[in-house]
Amino acid sequence: MSTTEESPVFIPADGALDFGGVVRSEWIKFRSVRSTWWAYAILLVVTVGVGAQVSSSLSFDGMPGVPTQDAIQDMAVYAVTVSTDFGVLVVGVLGVIVIAGEYGTGMIQSTVTAVPRRLPILVAKALVVAVATFVVSSVALAMTVPVSATLLAGNGVAVRLDDPQYWIVLLGSVGYLVLVSLIAFSVGALLRSTAGGTAATFGLLLVVPVATSFLPAWAENIAILLPSVAGDVLLSYPTEQSWVDLAAPTAGSAWITEPWQGGLTLIAWVAVLFTAAAVLLRERDA
Amino acid sequence: MIEAESLTKRYGANTAVDSINFTVRPGRVTGFLGPNGAGKSTTMRMILGLDRPSSGVVRVNGKAYARHHAPLRQVGALLDAKAVHPGRSARNHLLAVAATHHIGAKRVDEVIGLTGLEPVARKRVGGFSLGMGQRLGLAVALLGDPATLILDEPVNGLDPEGVVWLRGLARRLALEGRTVFLSSHLMSEMAQTADHVIILGRGRIVADAPVSEIVARADGDSVQVRSPQVDHLTHLLQAEGATVSRVEADLVSVTNLGTSRIAEIAAAAGVVVYELTPIARSLEEAYIALTRDEVEYRTTQTSPEVNR
Repeated sequence: MSTTEESPVFIPADGALDFGGVVRSEWIKFRSVRSTWWAYAILLVVTVGVGAQVSSSLSFDGMPGVPTQDAIQDMAVYAVTVSTDFGVLVVGVLGVIVIAGEYGTGMIQSTVTAVPRRLPILVAKALVVAVATFVVSSVALAMTVPVSATLLAGNGVAVRLDDPQYWIVLLGSVGYLVLVSLIAFSVGALLRSTAGGTAATFGLLLVVPVATSFLPAWAENIAILLPSVAGDVLLSYPTEQSWVDLAAPTAGSAWITEPWQGGLTLIAWVAVLFTAAAVLLRERDA
Repeated sequence: MIEAESLTKRYGANTAVDSINFTVRPGRVTGFLGPNGAGKSTTMRMILGLDRPSSGVVRVNGKAYARHHAPLRQVGALLDAKAVHPGRSARNHLLAVAATHHIGAKRVDEVIGLTGLEPVARKRVGGFSLGMGQRLGLAVALLGDPATLILDEPVNGLDPEGVVWLRGLARRLALEGRTVFLSSHLMSEMAQTADHVIILGRGRIVADAPVSEIVARADGDSVQVRSPQVDHLTHLLQAEGATVSRVEADLVSVTNLGTSRIAEIAAAAGVVVYELTPIARSLEEAYIALTRDEVEYRTTQTSPEVNR
């Protein structure tokens, strides 16, 4: 057609898509569903509640031998972080739900339509889950510490709070929860199913360690790379004398013994699973 | 403007969309019509990059949808009204989508008002009726005040008042110079809303024409004439330029000549006419005829050629 019609041409308004916007969007989504609040409320209550309960019932009374300050610190760390393994279940479910839930409800279509490049969605979601988990588990431990120290003092266990190692283990507990939430998130993104994602995550964290204990000795060197083993390393106080048995030396793992090694192991898990999830998010139909 | 070139989507051995070419132009409402399973939704999903084409390309306003700096400003889409987390309120859903493009709460409340969602905006979406869900989907599509709208079966679940409102909205958006592309499996719906239709059947384009042309094609206006002197009458009508075909011994079907002219010719020649019936195929029938061979599943009893 050579004649131009008199119809107006619509020009869209300004305001563009950027990563900051995607993070804000994911934060609104995260805080506007009940499951988030339930999960974090449970994490907070169980951390403080169980920490307080355990602290009130721990002491060295009746134990043979004299506890060193290390053994006392070891006990104090145990009392505060005792519910970490339970926290792992909570943040594991939450991490899976955050992404797999979008596939379950169909919300992912709206999300991908708004952010068609897709990768920023995954990064922003992971960021929101990680930061929120960091904040909530830090607050939970910060609330548990004074309660625990007071209760332990009542049992004759004088905890030194100026001990940097004490805080490093607490930080390790927080880091473990954050990294597990990211492992669960990546598994959820790979499997796109809440049921499948939680089953796979808990399989990796709880079942595989048990299964590998039945393997021949050489396999233990591989089993040591499991996230749960890394978690144990992060949560152990470096001491010659464990509070559980003052006479026995602490048994270290074969070649992952330092907290930073445990941390690196977990980061490697996150990196591999997250990368796989990112590649598949780009390739698959939404 | 939406441009598809050799757009194809295969799922294993099944070809859902088979190398289609089309252009959806701004300033008018374009209907996307086809039976269920014809490939309409798959085509729309490919336009938005939700599904990756097996081959071919589709551009929106000059480039692939994902390549735009502000995708929601370019395209507003309603594909599946159920694509919402049921535990989130309608307003929070809109706020979350809006946040990606730094669209503020003011615009969110604007589209809530525009789509009549105020009474339920802070309620959880899980309890919404089909119609309310559809309005929320439309609110999302309008958020970015986009240049192009892609709506998959938008009247689905709307009450009659909502259907009228949506037609008006589609027309107004097109008048503002926007591209409006909406799908339906009902021809009657398109006839009332669209200026132009693209008809899809089994993944292929069956027709791509203005509605008026489809209507004209549909009205292959014929007249049934029953007369004892049908042979004589046939000669007279053919002399006037009509096309006549025998239906029964005393019945013919006449095209290219109106009922009144046929009556005049018969009267002038003294031919007795028992019956003179104008047959107009409805738009719906034309559509069924167009897509008859392209429907994936069909009931075994086909509709009669003519009715009335």
